[in-house]
This record gives sequence, structure tokens and C-alpha cells, in this order.
Amino acid sequence: MFSFGTARAALKSLFTRGKENQVPFSDLFVWFQDILKKNNAAMELIADMGGKMGGEFIFDKKYLSDSVKQLEELVRGSAYDLNYITDNQYLELYGVIEELAKNLGIELSGKLVIHGAKRIYDLSEIEDGMEDLVGYKTYNLSRILHLSGVHVPESFAVTVGGFRDYMAYNNLFEKIENTIEECRNERRSVESVSNSIRLMILGGEIPPELRRQILAAAERISHGTPGSCSFAVRSSGVGEDGDLSFAGLHDSFLDVPFNEVLSNYKKVLASLYNQASLEYRLRMNILSLEMAMPVLYQKMIPGHVSGVLFTLDPNRPERSESLLSGSRGLGEVVVEGKEGVETFRISRSTPYTILEQQVQATPHVPVPSEKDLAQEAAGGSNAESCLTWKEVSAIMDAGQILERYFKRPLDVEWSIDEGGQLWILQARQIHVPRQRRMQHTELKGATKGHRVLFKDQGMIAYRGIGAGPVWIAEDGQDLNNFPRGGVLVSHYAPPRLAKVIPRAGAIITDLGAVTGHMATVAREFRVPTIVGTDVATQLLAAGQEVTVDTERNVVYEGLIQELIRHQLLDAPSFEMTREFQLLRRLLKKIAPLSLTDPDDPGFVPKGCQTFHDVMRFVHEKAFRALVQAGKDSRSFLRRGGKRLKSHLPLDLVLIDIGGGLAEDVDKGIYVDPDQITSIPMKAIWQGLSSPDSWNTEPIPVDLKGLMSSLTRTQSAEVLGNAVPSVNLAVLGSNYVNLSLPLGYHFTAVDAAIGSSPENNTISFRFVGGVTDITRRSRRAILLATILEKAGFKIKMNGDLVIARAINLSEALMMDQLLLIGKLIGFARQLDVLLKNDEDVDYYVQKFWDQAEKPVARS
Amino acid sequence: MEKTTVCILDDEAIVGDRLKPELEDDGYDVEVFTDSASALARVNETCFDIFITDLKMEGIDGMGFLERVKEKCPDSEVIVITGYATMETARESLIKGAYDFIAKPFRIGEIRAAVKKAKKKARRRHQA
Repeated sequence: MFSFGTARAALKSLFTRGKENQVPFSDLFVWFQDILKKNNAAMELIADMGGKMGGEFIFDKKYLSDSVKQLEELVRGSAYDLNYITDNQYLELYGVIEELAKNLGIELSGKLVIHGAKRIYDLSEIEDGMEDLVGYKTYNLSRILHLSGVHVPESFAVTVGGFRDYMAYNNLFEKIENTIEECRNERRSVESVSNSIRLMILGGEIPPELRRQILAAAERISHGTPGSCSFAVRSSGVGEDGDLSFAGLHDSFLDVPFNEVLSNYKKVLASLYNQASLEYRLRMNILSLEMAMPVLYQKMIPGHVSGVLFTLDPNRPERSESLLSGSRGLGEVVVEGKEGVETFRISRSTPYTILEQQVQATPHVPVPSEKDLAQEAAGGSNAESCLTWKEVSAIMDAGQILERYFKRPLDVEWSIDEGGQLWILQARQIHVPRQRRMQHTELKGATKGHRVLFKDQGMIAYRGIGAGPVWIAEDGQDLNNFPRGGVLVSHYAPPRLAKVIPRAGAIITDLGAVTGHMATVAREFRVPTIVGTDVATQLLAAGQEVTVDTERNVVYEGLIQELIRHQLLDAPSFEMTREFQLLRRLLKKIAPLSLTDPDDPGFVPKGCQTFHDVMRFVHEKAFRALVQAGKDSRSFLRRGGKRLKSHLPLDLVLIDIGGGLAEDVDKGIYVDPDQITSIPMKAIWQGLSSPDSWNTEPIPVDLKGLMSSLTRTQSAEVLGNAVPSVNLAVLGSNYVNLSLPLGYHFTAVDAAIGSSPENNTISFRFVGGVTDITRRSRRAILLATILEKAGFKIKMNGDLVIARAINLSEALMMDQLLLIGKLIGFARQLDVLLKNDEDVDYYVQKFWDQAEKPVARS
Repeated sequence: MEKTTVCILDDEAIVGDRLKPELEDDGYDVEVFTDSASALARVNETCFDIFITDLKMEGIDGMGFLERVKEKCPDSEVIVITGYATMETARESLIKGAYDFIAKPFRIGEIRAAVKKAKKKARRRHQA
């Protein structure tokens, strides 16, 4: 172990020559360790907060403000440490941290953070908690954009701010207030008050800046051809879809041409004060409540058939039936209840069965060309239906995906275009008449007779109830075959499965932590999830129908409709609580990591968007300060570094920052591999030094000369000045940072591994090579393929591969590092050998053949 | 059989809001309070079988509430939940007769198990 004893003064004098401000090398270790400690503590806190997103915990606001405060201290502290050891090179960090802290403070204070004076948001720009800014209709649509299998037309919203601008620009606030007063005092009829206010609004002028922005946005979503495009302009009222139901009270306009986009904005605003809306407000005694009207603009889908789906019949919720109405055309017919509407009553369980069908006389009588018409499925009772069976089925599927996400019965407006593509135009909660909550005894009765397959195994990553057929994940499966609403069962949680999570009804894994990647994605998509059950893959059979109750942590055999309905209709949604929503918003400003590549020009203090970014930045820069303090291996050896004895042609210098090497290491410069006590380094070395790992494939003669240089290190000019000039491993008992500037490429592994999974992380980085970019990219693909299969999350760019694994158990992490060790040796000079794309597959296979345990399983 | 009654007192509304339906699903009769004065007023009318109380609150704090409850309803069990968990406060509340002490944030399963145990104990006491 490195001694800070008497040698310290001597070292100090040796390495601070002429540099008054430079921190003594020995002190660097101590500071670096401190940064690592803070980094671990911060990661633990962030993981802990993430774990609270699953609904299993009850937490209050104090927990949130305490956690944020602790994080701020850690982040500020590590920025101070970094500046201390780098002679204040990163003073900018302080400002960045304070800005981030300020935004978190605003969130905690409960004020909505509105970014600048933005009046227009594209659907994809809308963030959590903006419902009051863009209105519920728009907000709901923005939440489902990322669900696979759901298509939403391109849209943008004009915010509450736009509405206020309009009102202020035309001096309408006071005028309207006075007119409403007359209504309240019953001096005038509601109808007459409504008429005058609407006339005032329609007679106003849109402020020039807002006008310009609306037109630009409309042009943007029509992709430069606004003339040939039409729009739906919809009210997206604040409070609609919330506790108060204004549904249908405000106007929406369909098929609006570009040149009427502005006049329709005014029409929608005016509908805020239509007679029905004012009457409703009078009746609910909320007339004085501030009125506001965000507006949603949607690119019009040339609807071939359109309609509405009630995912659950609100009048007979106990029957598990959906109601679907459709008609040819744009959908006004259905919404406005005109004639020509077809209505289907459909059973919710797959395969959907049409139980009842009413076809009114349609105004148009086109002859259906397809054979599999809906009425055939229903018994062939009628001649012309607007929907095929396939379409009915697709609408039902989409409805169930949305319902699974919102956890409530929904009223979904949809349209199918001429190409047969289904579009979701809006989705809002159905207000099912509040029923008596299911009683304790009824809940017990519902599960009676259903065999408990297992209970109280593992940890709940997301609370809820899901049911469907079991689908057991195995290597090499086509993920496209995953059944909608299926129960995903997996031994471990490789990132590739993230793809099917949005379609899953529930997820159960044998291994994994609630803070792991899979659990995080499951929470994002609100899929009931249990991780770490140990037994799921053994006890469940593919295709078996099960009900997963993650509120009680029980898995039942069979589909228990009563439980599913209980969840849908009256289970309280923890996500609707203020604390939960606050946590989600805080985490968005804390947890995402955007700084992953230290060589990216954006890897600067200003590029830090979250506290996680700041910690990553500090760690990287502190590490570089440490390794750059030595020029060559000798300078590191003089400072207490040790050279590793090995049969590999690898000149590796080890620096122990505490507990990384056995205490009996003598004063000489050499150590044996078995004297390594750093847990992660031991695993890497085991992989690197295992037989066959160090690639001995014959290399073509003409390249031999070149190859001879490959175990030597490469100069900084090739690889960027941040790379150490020697093969270097910085070791702690639970930590390793390994930098191998081998040949013309650079491999870096940074890993922290201990008994608590929250702190466990591996980051692997590989870049460069001796050949042209094509071959180098092939090697990158090879590495990415192998690492992804092994469960890493991958980022690639040209010949750069970044792989990350987090929060796995110690044993799994060790397996991963062992594999990385093997891979480093294997891939060392492979770029030369990867002459064509097929070679990649060959060598991937060869690697797995060599590696005894291809996939990390403990 | 009469349902077991539970009183939840926490000035952070979220605690009662989330616990009430969970415990109701388990078959308890639950009442929720966010200030100690109205909770105490209710205690003067009736003794709940089980109390769940926060410690740090405006007015009479959880420790004071615990004492009054133990005075008025010696057969009731009290579970203390707090975000300021220290050995000190844990010891103090146990000495004052609390049945269990749980640090916030807590798992729903954790408090359900505690309530279940408290119920058994209360029942044994009644039988004795």
C-alpha cells in the first residue's frame, strides 16, 4: 500500500519543483479518494431517489428536500476538491452547480419552472408537470408519444401564456370580468353574456409575435408544404380531464386550411366562454376560477375511418367490455353523434370478441373490398361496416396500451388513414361513476380459487396489477414476437429487453435491483415489476396465463379480472400525488447522464445538465489530473507505483490509492498478480490473463513490423492529450481505473464494485485502431455486439464504443469485469483481421466459444 | 367480528392519503388526521385500536400525542413514524410506550406488517 509516511516530504519536494500551486502527488491520492467517496455517496442517493419512483415507498416532501440538500453538498464538495487539485482550472463548475441547485429549489418551492417566455411547444418538448401550461389534452398526448405501437399526429401547443398574451394585447381581461359580473348578478342571461364575450374575443387581434410563431410552427409540422396540409385546432383547456370535466364543452375545429389557422385560434379561445361552458361553471360554482385556454394544433390525418373508443363501458364497468364507435371520414360524425355511426360492444380480453354491433344507415355506401370485415367476425349480420376486423383489433390493442399506461379507463379519439395506419388523436380519462371501493373481503374473494404461484419474492420496482401470458426471455429470440400485454419473465435484465417493456403487462426477473436499468425503464412505462425473485424462470412456464399483483407481491395462476378492474377503477394512483410528481421532476434534473464521452467537445462544465453530469465530470477530470501527474512509467514508479509481473507483453503500472494491493507488498517495484486485492482489478486481471484471451492469431507478414509496436504505448498526439502515456491502473479496494493506451487504440475501464449494488458501476471505453475507419468501426461493432449480449448498455460512434453496467450485484459485476478482461485481450489487434463485415460474426462467435461462460450469470 | 380501527396522524397529507386505502384493503377501519389537535379531539371520543403518528408536528408533537394516547387509551398500540429518526428519539418513544418505531420513507409492506403485529398484540391484550 502506498505509504504517506516519511517519504511524503521527499516526494513533495521532488514533484513540486518550480510549481508553487501544484498539489503534492501524494496528496492527490487522498483528494482523489475523497472525490470517489463523494461520487459513490451521490450515486447512492440518486439511486435511492430513483427507487422511490416505483410506488412501494411512502415518502414526504421532507425526504425530497433532505435528499436534494445532501446531494448539493456532495456535488459542491467534489467540485471544490477538483479545483483544489487542479489549481482552480474548473471554477466555472461552481456557477453551473448553483444554477442547477437554483432550479431544484424552484421545483421544491412548488413554482412551475417555465422556460423563458416560450409560447409554443412541440409535443416532444413537453415535460412532466407542464399540464397547466399546455392543457390536459396536449399533455396526455405528449405522455404517450414514446409508447411503441401508438402513433400521434405531429402537433404543437400554444400555451396558457399565449392565451394571456392575446387577452392582454386586446385589453380583454377587465372587459370580460365586468361582463361576467353581470352574469353572476343575474342581470343578464348566460346566453347573452356568452355571446358578448365571444364577440369580444373573436374581434381581437393576435399579437404579432404570437402570430408569427403560430404560423412558423404550423409550417414546421406541415414540412414546408402548408398549402397542401390541413390542421385540427383543438381546445386543450386547463382542468379538462382533471377533476372537473369540461369534456366536449369547448370547441375543436377539423380540416382547417393553413390560411385559417389564425382565425381558428380565436374561435377556440372564444369557445372558452360559450354558453354550455359558462353554465357548467355557474353550476359548479367556479365562475371566478381563472379561465385559460391552451390550444392544440394537430396535423390533420386524412381519415378514412375515425371514431371513439371507450376502453371500458362506463355504464357497465363490471362487464369488462369496450365500446367502439366509428364512421367514415374525419370523425365529426361520431363525436357529434350524427347518423352513420357504427357501434360495437367488444369483450376486452383477447382475442377480442364482438358481442354486439349496431350499424346505422350510413350516408355513403361504399362497397367493402376486404373479406375479413368486422361483421363477419360478429356473425355476418350486416352488409357494410366501416371497420375491418383487423382494424377493430388494432384499435383495441392501442386502447389497452394507453389504458395500461394511464391506469384508468379512457376515451380515445382515433383515426385510420388511407394507408391503414391507426392514429391516436386524443386520450382522456373516462369518469366512471364513482362506485363503492371494493371491500377487503371482496378482494380476498376475487383471488380465491386462484393458485398462488409464488409470493413475497424479490423487490417491487413498480406497483400495480398486470396480467397476461408468460413470455420467458432467452438469447436469440425475436423480440417482435413478444405478445402485447404479455408478462415478461427473465433471468436477468439485459438492456435489449427494454424494447419490449412498453408492450409488457408485467415484468418479473430472477436477478436485478430496483435501481437497475430495467426497473428504471419499467417505471418510465408504468409496468408493474418485481425484480430479484430468484425463482420466476423456474416456476413460470411460457404461455401460462398469470396475474401479477405487485401491490401485494403475489403471482397468481390465471387471469383475475376482478383484480385488474379494481386497479383500473378504484385503486388510488400514487402517481397522481404531488410528492411523486415532484420527485419525478427533480429526478429529471438530477439523474440523467448526458456527459458520457470525455473527448466530446461538450464535455465541459457548461455541458453539465444534471448533478449526475457534474459528478461524472469531476470524476473524470480528477482522474486525469492524477494520471497526468506522471510523464512515463518511471515517474509513476518513483512515486510509489508498482510494476505488475506478468507473462503478458503488457507493461502495467499499478497505483494503490488504498486497499488495492496486499499489505505485504515490499519496497521493490514489482508486484505479483496475486498481490492485487482490489476486487474489480482482480476480476479484470483474471479475464485478461486467462488462457486464450491474449489473442495470438497469426498476423499477416506485411503487417508484422507494425504489429511489433502494438504492445507499446502510443503517443498522446494520436489519442488526445488526456490519455496517460503508460498502461496504468489506479486501484482501491473496491475501485479500479484502468487505462491501456495499447497500440493505436485506447481502452479504459472504470469500475466500482462492492456489496451494495447501488454503488456498483462499470464503464468501459474503447476507441481508435491502426487501420482505416471502416475496419476500426468493425471492431467497434464486434465489441458492442459482445458487450450488449453480455448485458451492457452501449453507445457507439464510429470507432468509439462506450459500455455501461450499473447496480448489479457484486457477483454479476465480477462476471462482467471478467468478460471485459477477456475481451480486451481478444480484441487487441482484431481491427487488422476484420477485413469484411462477415468477419465480425465469425470473431463474435469465436469469442463466445473461447469464453466458457458466455453470458454473465451468477 | 368488529373491524380493527386505525388512526393515522401526520401533518404531511401524503402519508394518510396513501396509507388509508392500503390499510382499508387489509380490512381495517381507518381515519386520517393532519393536525394533532383534531386527532386528540377524536381520541377523547373514542379509542382506536392502533395509532400511527408522526413525531415532528406543529402544536402538540408526536411525542406529546403518544403520551396522551397512552394515558387515555392504555390498551391501544402506537406506531411512531418519523423522518428524523435517531436512536435517541427511537428510545424515547419506546420508553413512552410506543409499540414500534419506523423511519421515513418506509415501504408500504413494512408498515402493513407492523400494523398486523400491533393488531395481534392488541387482540391478545383484550383477551387477557
